[in-house]
Amino acid sequence: MLEGVARIVQANSVFRSLCRPLASTWVNLAGYRRLGLRYDDLLREETPIIQEAISRLNREEIDLRNYRHRRAFQLSLSHQELPAPQWTKPQEDVQYLQPLIEEVSQEYAERDAFNSMISVRK
Amino acid sequence: MLRSKAALAKVGSLRTYASASSVAPTVLSTANGIKVAATEGHPDSPLASISLVINHGSRFETASTSGAAHYLKAFGFRNTQERTSFRTVREAELNGATLTASATRENITYTVQCFRDALPYFVDILGDIAAATKFSEHEFRDIAKLVKFEALGARENPQARVIDGVHQAAFRSGLGNSLYALESSPVHTGDAVRQYAQSAMQSGRVAVVATGVDAVTLAALVGESKLAELTNEAAVADSKAKFTGGVHQIYESAAPVSHYALAFESDPSTAPALAALLGGQRRLKWGAGGASPLAKLAFSEGFAAESFSFAYSDAALVGVLVSAPSSHIKAAVEKVAAVVQTSVAKASPDAVARAVAATRLDVAEAQATQQGIISELSKLALSQGPLASLEAVDSMAASLAQTAAKVFSAKPVAASIGLSQTTAYVDTLGF
Repeated sequence: MLEGVARIVQANSVFRSLCRPLASTWVNLAGYRRLGLRYDDLLREETPIIQEAISRLNREEIDLRNYRHRRAFQLSLSHQELPAPQWTKPQEDVQYLQPLIEEVSQEYAERDAFNSMISVRK
Repeated sequence: MLRSKAALAKVGSLRTYASASSVAPTVLSTANGIKVAATEGHPDSPLASISLVINHGSRFETASTSGAAHYLKAFGFRNTQERTSFRTVREAELNGATLTASATRENITYTVQCFRDALPYFVDILGDIAAATKFSEHEFRDIAKLVKFEALGARENPQARVIDGVHQAAFRSGLGNSLYALESSPVHTGDAVRQYAQSAMQSGRVAVVATGVDAVTLAALVGESKLAELTNEAAVADSKAKFTGGVHQIYESAAPVSHYALAFESDPSTAPALAALLGGQRRLKWGAGGASPLAKLAFSEGFAAESFSFAYSDAALVGVLVSAPSSHIKAAVEKVAAVVQTSVAKASPDAVARAVAATRLDVAEAQATQQGIISELSKLALSQGPLASLEAVDSMAASLAQTAAKVFSAKPVAASIGLSQTTAYVDTLGF
């Protein structure tokens, strides 16, 4: 139910126009874009659902993801940032993993529902 | 039991095929042109089956889609926009249903065997498969393993390879395409399978056949499912099968047993009777006492000779598969060819009577089993050749000897596997 409320609030254009500048500032302050990362690179990957979602990425997306991770580790170790032109641009910061995570979570929920259901014979 | 009959109004022309047998199938056509064929079966039986038959088997593959039919078969009952594969399988389990996918060179068939009251649900499932399968890449990776395993299994089986080979020798492309996705298959993504499926799922190429339900009810159910969304836009060019000549040889010289398939071109309607006339060891295990000259020869010489027939909509192969220890394969093939020329091509009235009796039994069996009925109904719905019936067998009995003389004196094609260095090219066998 709360998800439904959240969806309505998020779809509200007044709310969006208020929040968008704040959100952009917040994301820029978080700093991951300065290391060339995308938001979906930061999701905690040590769960079965996200592991499964990552395994459904295609080869090219996996390679790019691994490359961004390695580059960010290297920058972090050497206490550096990428030169500004190479920062992740807002339009590049797409949710490439989130749809897969949602798909897999739905499948897990369905699996749980079937495993715990009670069959009623009419 | 079923939903509103409003969709009945959409049902088009009605054709009924009178038949003295227990199968009294009816063929209807839905509003968008999908053929629906069903036979009620025994009214006391709670059993039903429903199949989605797609006339787009390996015959329709081109060089760039080689193997796609095998992948499409394996994509049956997978994730669709409506439900996951997991849910389909679990719900089928709860219904006690079986889900199978099979492929011939012409048709890909997804079959559900279930109870009559579950039929509407499974029509929905088959509609989803036809119209809304996702063909996602991660599923393709799983399916590719299965397809590879099946293809390797077929490769391990020399009889299956030699039958594939004899099709290749006889028809080259089209019907000569392998049933299996070979390692050289250019299909590497779910998207490639989706494209092949899009040309397959045309309402003119799809039929729904069922047992345990009447055709009018089935047509109404099909009209309410996603199958009603199929259109018939991109017509696939049907090329007529052409029997060419030749021999397909596979060298496996170290194999202890060699196999040799010798096949003749025949008419689809007479192929089963001609195979029965060839005889061999299929029906009677102890060939010494039987009257089939091939079985006698095989028994006395210690090898195996088995007749086969493959009937397609516009072509058929009938022939004999000889298996012998590699040291004997040359002699065995030559003796079998001689027997075909001397005994089978000049069949006695007795031999014809035996062949007709055997064919009648096969036809009766096909009409009595669910598997047989499904394949006969698919043939009927997709207009793939004449229906087998006891009357049809009787009516061709008179001319069977003449037909045999004509078919078995023409130049055959052959395929061999094993010690192929020693076996004959067809032109030295004297046909």
